Amino acid sequence: MEDRFAQQLKKGVLEMLVLKLVCAQATYGYELLSRLKETSGGRFSLKEGTLYPILYRLEDDGMILAKWSQGQGRTAPKKIYEATQAGREENLRRQLVWREFEETVNIFLKGDRDQ
Amino acid sequence: MTDAEKKMKKYTNAVERRLNLPRAVKARVMSDFLSSIAARREAGRTDEEIYAELGDARKAAADLNEQMKEFAYRKSPWRFLFLGLAVVAAAQILYDGIIALVGRYILYRASADLSAAIGIIGGADGPTAFFVTTPSWMVSVVTAALLIVGIAGYLLLRHCKAK
Repeated sequence: MEDRFAQQLKKGVLEMLVLKLVCAQATYGYELLSRLKETSGGRFSLKEGTLYPILYRLEDDGMILAKWSQGQGRTAPKKIYEATQAGREENLRRQLVWREFEETVNIFLKGDRDQ
Repeated sequence: MTDAEKKMKKYTNAVERRLNLPRAVKARVMSDFLSSIAARREAGRTDEEIYAELGDARKAAADLNEQMKEFAYRKSPWRFLFLGLAVVAAAQILYDGIIALVGRYILYRASADLSAAIGIIGGADGPTAFFVTTPSWMVSVVTAALLIVGIAGYLLLRHCKAK
């Protein structure tokens, strides 16, 4: 069981990261889970159920769109998510918010790590 | 359909059945869940590995229910008012039923003359005869209606949409 502090931090950040990943490339749920896990070195290892509310919130807010990809050959059709124009703009805005946030927090944290 | 496909269908149906979510959200979740299974298969996972990753149907559904809380049904506290109504109506019906049975028993024990004397149409051949002779038959209809309204209200209010 992860501690609550880490969980809460992750919650907000994941919504930003999922939007960024969808903006980079139209993708489906399992690919998002795999990419989050790989890129974070296993630290952002999510269950399906954790990802879905994030995707649905983004979709309901008009940031992303769900479509069905046509199955080619032996592949089955899959639900694929792609970013809308509003989503791309929001993606840039959120990254800006994050950078400012990070800089501000770092002002407090710089110096001796043990204090 | 191969045996493996049948097993997977059974698994996904079992997950869907256990989701405590409004119909539209359920459809949304299941479309992603099925896509996820298809994607895992394409990534070279065997069905056994997929079952292991997602957990058995009970666990997979419990995980989804837990994480999808904000989209879940909200149980209205007003449902207990309807439950109370249903319980009162049921108690009334049970009470009336016992009285009716006792009445029938007395009628069976009594002579045919007695039955005729209190004017039962068609004789004492069942509970209907008793109810017809009861001046408060309306009460029974109203009580039954209250029972149905109570149960329906209770069940419906368990499935309010989340705010």
